[in-house]
Amino acid sequence: MTQQNPPTNLTSDFEPKIVGFLCNWCSYAGADKAGVAQTPYPPNVRVVRFMCSGRIDPEFILHAYKKGADGVLILGCHFGDCHYKEGNFRATQRHRLLLRLLRQHGIAEERCRFDYVSASEGEKFAKVITEMTHTIRKLGPLHREHNQSHGGSQS
Amino acid sequence: MLKTIIIGLGNPVLSDDSVGIKIARLLEARLHGRPDVEVRELSAGGIRLMEAMQGYERAILVDAIVTAGGEAGAVYRLSPSDLRQTRNACCSHDGSLQEAFELGQQIGLVLPREITIWGIEAGDVTTFSDGLTADVERAVAKVVDAIVQQIDHGGTTSREEPTMRTGVYFCTCGTNISDKISPDKIKDDVLGIPEVAYFKTCEYLCSEEGKAFLEQDLKQEKPDRVVVSACSPRDYEKTFRECLAKAEINPYLMQMVNLREQVAWVTADPQAAERKAIAYLRAATARVHWQAPLEEKEIDVCPDVLVVGAGPAGLKAAMALARAGRKTVLVEKTPILGGMPVRYEDLFPNLECAPCMLEPLLAEVVEEKEIERLTLSEVVNVTGYCGNFTVKIRQQPRYVDAAKCIGCGECLNPCPASTTNEFNFGLNQRKAIAFAVTGGLPNVPFIDFQACRRSHGEDCQLCKTACPVEGAVSFSAREKILERNVGGIILAVGSTLYDCSQFPGLAYGKNSDVYTSLEFERLLSASGPTQGKVLKLNGEPPKSVAIVHCVGSLDPKQKPYCSGICCQYAFKFNQMIEHRVEDATVHHFYREMVTPGKEACALYERALANPKAQFVRYSDLADVEVHMDNGAQKLHCRDVAGTAHNIPADMVILCPAIVPTASSKKLGDLLETAQDKFGFFEELHGRADAEQSKIKGIYLAGTCQSPKDVQASMSQGMSAAGHVLSQLPAGRKLKIEPITAEVNADFCSGCKVCASICPYKAIDFNSERKVSVVNALLCHGCGTCVAACPSGAMDGNHFTRDQIFAELDGVLQ
Repeated sequence: MTQQNPPTNLTSDFEPKIVGFLCNWCSYAGADKAGVAQTPYPPNVRVVRFMCSGRIDPEFILHAYKKGADGVLILGCHFGDCHYKEGNFRATQRHRLLLRLLRQHGIAEERCRFDYVSASEGEKFAKVITEMTHTIRKLGPLHREHNQSHGGSQS
Repeated sequence: MLKTIIIGLGNPVLSDDSVGIKIARLLEARLHGRPDVEVRELSAGGIRLMEAMQGYERAILVDAIVTAGGEAGAVYRLSPSDLRQTRNACCSHDGSLQEAFELGQQIGLVLPREITIWGIEAGDVTTFSDGLTADVERAVAKVVDAIVQQIDHGGTTSREEPTMRTGVYFCTCGTNISDKISPDKIKDDVLGIPEVAYFKTCEYLCSEEGKAFLEQDLKQEKPDRVVVSACSPRDYEKTFRECLAKAEINPYLMQMVNLREQVAWVTADPQAAERKAIAYLRAATARVHWQAPLEEKEIDVCPDVLVVGAGPAGLKAAMALARAGRKTVLVEKTPILGGMPVRYEDLFPNLECAPCMLEPLLAEVVEEKEIERLTLSEVVNVTGYCGNFTVKIRQQPRYVDAAKCIGCGECLNPCPASTTNEFNFGLNQRKAIAFAVTGGLPNVPFIDFQACRRSHGEDCQLCKTACPVEGAVSFSAREKILERNVGGIILAVGSTLYDCSQFPGLAYGKNSDVYTSLEFERLLSASGPTQGKVLKLNGEPPKSVAIVHCVGSLDPKQKPYCSGICCQYAFKFNQMIEHRVEDATVHHFYREMVTPGKEACALYERALANPKAQFVRYSDLADVEVHMDNGAQKLHCRDVAGTAHNIPADMVILCPAIVPTASSKKLGDLLETAQDKFGFFEELHGRADAEQSKIKGIYLAGTCQSPKDVQASMSQGMSAAGHVLSQLPAGRKLKIEPITAEVNADFCSGCKVCASICPYKAIDFNSERKVSVVNALLCHGCGTCVAACPSGAMDGNHFTRDQIFAELDGVLQ
């Protein structure tokens, strides 16, 4: 992985990089709704829009970590609301499997959150973004954790 | 340029295992003299393979592979992580590819950032031969071309070379965006993004002036790609795509950046907002590089329509379509048109005559030349897609020729065979030749062959002999399978009542004078078993009637919903009992009382004014019990306050929840239209699009979508017809969205994983080429199959792997 070296002393000014994978019909609309309501939330999540959460290939999530994301947030429609009937169901299945893989690679589960945000849930969107940012801020940068666990096993 | 190593792997004398080596030799010839590419042959994996890759930025490995059930000659483009999914990556030489990578990574060597493995499914890897089997031989040229193309056009990381001119248009949205993100402050950064040729601002890009500016400027600048940084693409992507089209640039070569809803309006700190804006612009520019021009396809549309179910909703829809000149096929399971209301006497809320209300509409439908009426018929198969469905309909023989029959009914009397009359819900018997309902249309009897003596081998001809018209009764008629081509389908198959025998306390099916509401409607009807007289089974009028509301409704253990019409017909019953049965008491037992709308309260008020009526509210249906007391039927109820009521109830009428019919289930399975948790057809959107199913070209009307009354059913029938007329206009072609999945047949291994998870049955299998094929007309573009494809053969137009990777790289840079 081509990652920059972590700063030696981590302070609270660490600004996590989080990628948000959003489906077009529910969660992206929910994000727009938060915008229209002008609900402020931390700027750390960068949104990538998909037509359906079912399109979110685990490969994309791994790529995000590889390219420096400290956390990944996947948001889809609530069950039963999927614009494409069951894409969100597939996405949750894939997410569960991916968590097992991430664990093996020493990536904490909290760095890969799946949640449901409907088109009307602007406030929930802002809340999820805020929570995720706090979570990752507490966990620190991804590579730091990785290096530490590595160092630990050697000593 | 990426420093690239191509490695052909395999054993040169072990038949198909030599394919990697052979391809490497061909590539060496093709790419000879290129400083950035080196080609090697290797007969071993493991450490030597890893060493060979050391020091290069990109490695392309070519090897024979054997997968479970793979077809010889199939080509797979894989990444190292994919190899976990194949059974056996290498055949005869030691070590495996992934072991080599893992080892190299563990000891910290500089290994290529990008590794592609081209696997060719081998047919024979055990025979000593320097030749290839025919299937594998055919794949060789294909793989050579693909690798040359990969090198020329770059893989996922060769995006560094700026070759395109991308124009960035920044809308300030008045000051909505520029209040937080000043275009002046970010301009230099944006111009520093590779491929950004210019950065222009506009105050309101969506205004008429803004759109004209965009169109004119695009015509002048002629950029290769366009980034519009403004508001949500959900609102204005279509608008700006139109501007591109007018400027003769393919509309799909634009990417929008949502700076208003998702940055400016939600970010408190302007500096953070600017940083985020630049990241999004970088991502959009990187992504748009990979966007490809897409064309909207157009297909011919069959303007004809299938309507399933001839109740109020189906009739209204069919008639509306016919009036608009559409040929309509109206399929009805029973022998008559009109659905449930033709069996009622009066309708709520005004107690108007139900058959009379339907009469004008029915008469029109029966006479209408554009409507093909198929009674005793069921849809048995549907193939195709919106605009072009092929429907198979099974029609049971009526044995009476509708064209000849004069509807005199002379044939009925002599018939010696009787059976239970299902049209009166089993309350009486009918002959084997019968009218479903007196006065029902078409006014032609039918022969129930199961009940007819001819089915037992007797040569009974009594009905035929009695018929005054020569040839009207014909025993030689047979079941027919009809095929019709239609553009749209309206489902209006109605509903039924919840099974009351689920509640032993109510004694339904046990005590003879416990009726469901539909059975009681028949008792009230002049065409019913008692000619409209309210009589108990023993022929006497009841002295006391109990009406139990909410049977199976509003109950989390049964059906949690309120059907919304039961209280209204219960009060209708109250009125009709008051008018028809002298001095009868009427007790209403209810959980909740619901009378919505501007008219429903009238019947409730009249029920309240009935001096013989009583109202008792219960909290649990288990507190209501019908029992016999010295030969008299009584109803015991503990009300919400805990008070016990034990009242005589000569006749008990149950108002059960409205539930979907068995036909809904059958049709739902056939059409793969979603059904909700109760089994009703699921609408595209509960409020905005309750007449559209989740499948294009299939529409919903009446109680098969949700419980509703006659008025709402008719309205929905009319709406469904409106949807057909607006979405499938006759003579116009149907536009097909180009955002669909697409199979690269060269990489498809034919595993059919995509087809198994497609929610729209949009993926067919070409058994000749053994590859999956996406039907763009059925594909909704969700991309679920793309993420599932293990061979990387499926990609989603406008959401391709390259586009997403580029966008991810951009936001994270």
